[in-house]
Amino acid sequence: MRDALAKVVNVAVDKFGAEYAEVRAQKLFKTMLTIKEERVEAVKEGIENGAAIRVLVNGAWGFASSYSLGVKTLVEAASEACRMAKVASQKLRNPIKLAENKAFEDEVSAKPKKDPSKIPIEDKLRVTSTIAETVLGYDKRVKSCTVDYLDLVGTSYFLNNESSYIEQDKLHVWSRILVTAKEGDVFTFSREEVGSTNGFEVFDIEAPEVVGEKVAKRAVGQLKAKPPKGGTFPVVLGSNVVGVFVHEAFGHLAEADLTLSGSVLMNKLGKKVASEVVTIYDDGTIEGAFGSFKYDDEGIPAQKTLLVRDGVVVGLMHNRETAQKFNAKPTGNARAEDFRVEPIIRMRNTFLAPKDHSLEELIEGIKFGYYFKSFRGGQANLDGTFQVGIQEGYEIVKGEIGEPVRNASISGNTLETLHKVDAVGKDFELWPGRCGKGQTAFVCDGGPHIRVKEVLVGGIS
Amino acid sequence: MASLKKDETVSLAEAAVKFALKHGADEAEAFAYQGFTTAVSIERGQITKSSRIIDQGLGVRTVVNKAVGFSYTNIVGSKETIEEVVIKSLKSAWASKPDKDWQGFPHKKPYANVRGTFDSAICELSPEDLVKLSSLMLEAAEKTDERVFPIEGGIGASYLSRAIVNSNGVTCFDCGTIIECSLATVAHESGEVTPVCFEFNAERIYKIDPEWVGREAARLAALALRAKRVESRGMDVIFAHFALQQLLYYTLMNAVKADYVQRNQSAFKGKIGEKVASEVVTIYDDGLLEGGLRTWKFDGEGVPQQKTVIIEKGVLRNFIYDNYTAKKEGKESTGNAFRAGYLSTPNVETTNFHFKVGKKSSEELIGEVDEGLLVYSLQGAHSSNPASGEFSVVATPAWKIEKGRIVHPVKGAMLAGNVFEILKNVADLANNERKIGSLVAPWVHVENVNVIGK
Repeated sequence: MRDALAKVVNVAVDKFGAEYAEVRAQKLFKTMLTIKEERVEAVKEGIENGAAIRVLVNGAWGFASSYSLGVKTLVEAASEACRMAKVASQKLRNPIKLAENKAFEDEVSAKPKKDPSKIPIEDKLRVTSTIAETVLGYDKRVKSCTVDYLDLVGTSYFLNNESSYIEQDKLHVWSRILVTAKEGDVFTFSREEVGSTNGFEVFDIEAPEVVGEKVAKRAVGQLKAKPPKGGTFPVVLGSNVVGVFVHEAFGHLAEADLTLSGSVLMNKLGKKVASEVVTIYDDGTIEGAFGSFKYDDEGIPAQKTLLVRDGVVVGLMHNRETAQKFNAKPTGNARAEDFRVEPIIRMRNTFLAPKDHSLEELIEGIKFGYYFKSFRGGQANLDGTFQVGIQEGYEIVKGEIGEPVRNASISGNTLETLHKVDAVGKDFELWPGRCGKGQTAFVCDGGPHIRVKEVLVGGIS
Repeated sequence: MASLKKDETVSLAEAAVKFALKHGADEAEAFAYQGFTTAVSIERGQITKSSRIIDQGLGVRTVVNKAVGFSYTNIVGSKETIEEVVIKSLKSAWASKPDKDWQGFPHKKPYANVRGTFDSAICELSPEDLVKLSSLMLEAAEKTDERVFPIEGGIGASYLSRAIVNSNGVTCFDCGTIIECSLATVAHESGEVTPVCFEFNAERIYKIDPEWVGREAARLAALALRAKRVESRGMDVIFAHFALQQLLYYTLMNAVKADYVQRNQSAFKGKIGEKVASEVVTIYDDGLLEGGLRTWKFDGEGVPQQKTVIIEKGVLRNFIYDNYTAKKEGKESTGNAFRAGYLSTPNVETTNFHFKVGKKSSEELIGEVDEGLLVYSLQGAHSSNPASGEFSVVATPAWKIEKGRIVHPVKGAMLAGNVFEILKNVADLANNERKIGSLVAPWVHVENVNVIGK
């Protein structure tokens, strides 16, 4: 593979005038299952092999993908990519430059205890069916259960004209459970995800019976929940909600491409944007976590990137292009979903660092507010407006957790809200998920429980 | 543009089906796909990138003793790779469990002619042409207002083809084109940044207006500056195209799918013939709509697409079906099996979800609102409860309407409620229909929506 890829890169540079050229090839094998109640919808398997060539010519990017790994097709794709770049450069005002980078040569192998490609389909069906059976057997009011399962194994190959060559195994195991419950006219909905870059052994820790019960219990528990009051209230956010808040409301703004596009973090480096109890990392090096990898798709080693230290923005997430613009080092955040698309800046495992409070201490001083334990979706805008939907929430009344509320959401301005974080818990959890930014990336997010002095709650006023 | 011709694509699928039947499949179906896209991208105020993406592949479903297996590959060059994908599909079926409700793949039916779905002019566009069109869009935005910064966008031109062959006699081929241009902008003024404003234009034939997209994206961003908060109360809301699409995609569009209904996930279960919306609401799922973004001769299982009335003058008339969910009720598929390329098995999905338009212009619709919001986009619509239709989202960008006139942009306003209540409170629809994904609809005026401002 190395010789073929080297030939393609050489042609791009020597014959077609590329200043920079890289080729990413992949050989991937996926297994997927969908269970709807007791029905196995289909057992699915697929092969996705291909390559992507990305070049800089006259300061503009050219990109071509190829579904064949044959040298002849790849050379054609390289020629095409260079032609595309030349065309794009016609109207270019500020040529693109890349931050300097050390060349790496490495071979990274996955070492799962239970290699998903060696686990028989029957075992995968057993795990997913057990989840579905546990959910459906939990309570008569549970009406539906969808279990999706995916494992992906394979190898990616990266080579550029700066002497980097990286062969890296890919391994992801993921499952998502969606449950609905109904009583009278009340519908509730609950979801949970499992994800790991270790192997199938993730289901030894996340036992199917435990996962199934957790998600079913939440759907049933919300049946007697009432809508929250709309307005501004003190809230305690659980680790799961803190994760999505840190990812959506802050993380995207700290992706340097979005910062440059004018996010509210523009010109905020070195400035205080949060209360001093807030420290935020994006870490690609956590063993087995769903967002971890050794090298990103520009051949840069993943690292633990400090974004906010004691309330002050100290770093952003970079690829080589934005690092050059900020005169910073690339952080290993350039990720491509597959060979059909180019790498863009993505998060890895993003979290708020724990401090010193217990959950009881966070709740005890609140006369009336909400405890939001688990999220359903979240989204942020460059102006700093965020929204996080809540799938499990409770009232806090006189310092104690009270009755459940359903279909709440919180919203506000990210920086204003980060300033209102007045206490941070000592617990810590990471939650696997998938992030969409045109492409899908596997990530984790999390943190401890936190208390926010006030935030806007969407409900019935 | 195509590397595989029509005959080659069909015979690829035929070969897979034949091989599957020979090796023990009771039934088999093959879906062959190819797609070519040329695109030019705008990033942070300039054209920075051009790409060419080719994707092709074959997905094979096989059935053994009512157990369904599926496998796909993107390597379709040789007989061996086709045989390999079929064997993998069979192995999946052997490992899977029988489905007592499985009643076979669909049978052959005649296809209607579809119009406005293919234009050779789109295939002939060069990357140079796309750079020119992107420049026009960018320059139009820059000329409109100097406080506006185009953050991303671009133009993409695609050719897609698909063939389906099954062991019940279905053999079909269709190809189409699509061109799309879009621009996202923000405006800056004395430290204030607006939310992202967005405009786009997608068509199946070469009839797009990049200059309009540029101008409009810039105009919206400039108008979003100096936003103010509003009081919390019930008020009228006009949902513009994007906001309506976002609101309905995660709620109403699921509630009319037969699999949601059969699996007790739809609030519409048992409500056929009942009034579920205001009398001014009539919705078709129209898979044959001329020039529709989801218009094809046949769906993801080779069933003819069709026009199905969903809600007629407020009364729920039909759900949408694929072959599996239809057979389960002894009905015929409505041609709503959707496939995400060759990578997946079909799912029930809307085609062109088409609202009947009203008579008023957008200005007249605004003119009728005494106090309310004009909402262009929603943040967080995907966090809606898909079963109950309850939502709690941020309206951004949005503008305050007072006494029939837009008075100022709004920040931080949340909307909370239930989409099925929204349907009952629709007062009127404008005549400014547009295509946004699977939605084809005008602006919609809804009375008494719960707004949480501060």
